[in-house]
Amino acid sequence: MESPSVSDRFLSRRRLLQLSGLSSLGLVLGGCASSMYEDIAFKTFEPLNQKVEELLLNPQKLIPNFPVSAIEPNALLINSFQGTPKIDPQAYLLKVNGDVNHSFALSLADLQKMPSTSMVIRHVCVEGWAAIVQWAGVPLRDLIALAKPKEGVKYVYFKSADGYYESWDLASSMHPQTLMVYQKNGLPLVPENGAPLRLASPVKLGYKQSKWVTEITLTNQLYPMKGYWEDQGYEWFGGL
Amino acid sequence: MTSSPAPAKRSKAPPVPHQTILSKVFHWVNIVSLLMMITSGLQIYNANPVFGGRGGWHFPPLVTLGGWLGGGRHWHFAAMWFFALNLLWYGLYIFVSRRWKRRFASEADLKVLQTGSNPKRKAYAWHRVLYTAVIPILLLAIVTGLGMYKPAQFHWIVDLFGSWQALRVVHFISVPTVIIFSLVHSFMALKVGGTKLVNSMFW
Repeated sequence: MESPSVSDRFLSRRRLLQLSGLSSLGLVLGGCASSMYEDIAFKTFEPLNQKVEELLLNPQKLIPNFPVSAIEPNALLINSFQGTPKIDPQAYLLKVNGDVNHSFALSLADLQKMPSTSMVIRHVCVEGWAAIVQWAGVPLRDLIALAKPKEGVKYVYFKSADGYYESWDLASSMHPQTLMVYQKNGLPLVPENGAPLRLASPVKLGYKQSKWVTEITLTNQLYPMKGYWEDQGYEWFGGL
Repeated sequence: MTSSPAPAKRSKAPPVPHQTILSKVFHWVNIVSLLMMITSGLQIYNANPVFGGRGGWHFPPLVTLGGWLGGGRHWHFAAMWFFALNLLWYGLYIFVSRRWKRRFASEADLKVLQTGSNPKRKAYAWHRVLYTAVIPILLLAIVTGLGMYKPAQFHWIVDLFGSWQALRVVHFISVPTVIIFSLVHSFMALKVGGTKLVNSMFW
């Protein structure tokens, strides 16, 4: 349990996800000839775009908070790829592991005892809509620091209770406003928004902000499975 | 069209309009990249229409590029380099060569529009004012696009427009504006200089 190789745990679901990913991608892409060269455009320009995104990200710069009065409670739409998983908050555990010197697991009560950060930020969806939301929770960088990452750690993987998975660059993960949150708009997070614990950050697109996170794994490399939507063609960095 | 020297007996014919190769390159890259920006932009629009959200009206596949949201984004964020850098080098070029003084709308054109009596000169002034005015509109499309692409790093751009929805509306408005401009601009070019002028801009 403590530190099985990361590739094993991500390979275990690979077959299923490949099949579901490919079939749905085929449905989406199949209908239109204009999408034929889309892949070429992506492969040619994504490395450049990602470089620019990495350069634009200032890992220390705080994104200005909005006033509480600016919160848009109804603007945050609910997206998930297969409904809302049932999680017992009492039995819930967040595991932190990977290339670290200290793997650990925390209950929701443990997490809520840690110093928390609150922010009112704009949540931006890849679809084009945005919502100003208040989130509160534990800075991810505090959890990473507790795990004492080994030399060479560059990426952070997030595994969710519903099978969703994501991976982030370390710089964005260490951003002071990248939080593992359990509160939204002043109230306890509800299951539809990712309770008991979800990722929230002003520096990444919505699909990077996993809900129902159960496991955080630090790695020194990016695996072929980068994220649920990335594996279907969305860009990996997804920076804002 | 080649611009061979006119024979002596036709020396009274108006001069064949001449454009530099750089202007033609700019014009071509601008047209093609804008077409890709607009069609891929409408594909992105369809994921969550600016007007009406998910329940809003969607553009038909005939005018969209990419086939799905990811594909639209890939085209949009590839073509943006051609579109923006093309404007950048051309801006430097007309600035350094001082073409902006001769080839774009000037005070003289504005004066003609106010007090001129020669309809041909007036039409020419309108033509120059129109293609000059589209440049700030194209720059506005870039600024609003950058604000939506990186709203955290460029939060001041979003603030400048007041709200996310306002930013989306201004970015989207560049589409009908550019389409209407293209139609009127083509019409004016034909009216002012005929096919000779139009051809000179392309070949």
